[in-house]
Amino acid sequence: MRRFNHFNASTMENAVSLLNESEGPAYVIAGGSDLMGCLKDNLWIEAPERVVNLKTIPGLKYILVEDGDLHLGALATLTEIAESDTVKLQWPGLAEAARRTASPLLRNMGTIAGNICQENRCWYFRYPDKIGGRIDCVRKGGKRCLAVPGDHRFHSIFGAVNKCIAVNPSDTAPALVVLDATVKTTKREIPIDEFFTAEMGAQSTVLDRDEIVTEIVVPAPQAGPNSAFRKIAYRKSIDFALVNCAAALVIRDGKVESARICLNAVYNNPRRCEASEELLKGRELTEELAQEAGRLAVAEAKPLLQNGFKVQMAKTIVSDTLMDCI
Amino acid sequence: MNENRKQLIHLTVNGEVQSVAVESHWTLSRVLRNDCGHTGLKEACGEGACGACTVLIDGVAVPSCMVLAVEQEGKSIETVEGLSKNGVLHPIQEAWLEEYGAQCGFCSPGMIMSTKALLAKNPDPTEDEIKEALGGNICICNNYEHIINAVRSAAKKMREKA
Repeated sequence: MRRFNHFNASTMENAVSLLNESEGPAYVIAGGSDLMGCLKDNLWIEAPERVVNLKTIPGLKYILVEDGDLHLGALATLTEIAESDTVKLQWPGLAEAARRTASPLLRNMGTIAGNICQENRCWYFRYPDKIGGRIDCVRKGGKRCLAVPGDHRFHSIFGAVNKCIAVNPSDTAPALVVLDATVKTTKREIPIDEFFTAEMGAQSTVLDRDEIVTEIVVPAPQAGPNSAFRKIAYRKSIDFALVNCAAALVIRDGKVESARICLNAVYNNPRRCEASEELLKGRELTEELAQEAGRLAVAEAKPLLQNGFKVQMAKTIVSDTLMDCI
Repeated sequence: MNENRKQLIHLTVNGEVQSVAVESHWTLSRVLRNDCGHTGLKEACGEGACGACTVLIDGVAVPSCMVLAVEQEGKSIETVEGLSKNGVLHPIQEAWLEEYGAQCGFCSPGMIMSTKALLAKNPDPTEDEIKEALGGNICICNNYEHIINAVRSAAKKMREKA
């Protein structure tokens, strides 16, 4: 790892000014499970000049329910969310997503805000500097994506964004998308549907370089806790998802009033399955309907040579996750 | 950029307060092994995936290769060396010996620390709970059957003691 200057922030304002005062690139560190990997591999073209520690800011590690809405402090760890009885009861999709992220050791470190802000895991993007030199892929300002002609078995099945086919690897992201969360930052409040973007270079979110997530607010479930999360990965614990899916339904009188379904690890950003959501509206959820929703979810899939298997996985996981909701 | 190259931090390692001068980019595993002399923990993957470097920071099991040492000021750290007292093995270590929890032994310090964190929270875990709690620790010898037996036996020993 290269040297950098390390600062402990005392407040959020202090953290923002520490970022702004930096002469070179500056990064914030909370849990550190994503950032440490990036630092160790010397991932970025310009090495970070400073790292600002958010763990020294008091009062950011909370899981609260206020007026029925769930408030997650930026430093709430994935373990705390996964083990919270309130979250398990009211927002089971989110609790399960947190429980299935990485390994117990990393969940003890990793925070919810960090999990939705993590960099992608494309192995060309993440190629470590120490073995033959870093690869400057299209996401890092290079000319081409090496995954398209190379090994893309874990990459996007819904096409590219700015030539890049890396997927968003977060497990909690689809859960927060279907639960219609709001991300509060030091500058603004961002609806979760607008939060993720692979269109701005290396980063995976719309955050500015001096903007920090402070809180995530998840609204109360409208009619019962009908949300669920599923993940397919090589190993049950630790591995990043091949495909994951979250769904949240509003069910009244046995019929689906509205539905939100989101696949992740299939595209650069978490991908809502809008056609499937439309299909469910006003109908009773049955096994056949869930399967039809699964088929619709992958109707527009454009798999590459090596990742056709992910289409079948996405189709199945959508119908299975929907059935888990009831 | 290289102003204040080293910073003095104070760690309580296995109950003993230690002051160490560290650079900002040093990981806790490096400091514990190179500066504090606790070579029980191993660093294998260096990316938090294998769990060989697991230690308890304020009672929480984390991979020490993924945390910066400078951020551990004032923290209480427990490594595998802190388990035995006056030459008497900890029940988890005894169970590890009796149930052949170690083949090559490289993963054992991490496995044992994860087990300690699990049993502190859950004194009577089921097999699934054991598997989930040790999910972040990898054993390349594939000795998992024996490790799970060792955890079960350790849990029993500790319940009987308590």
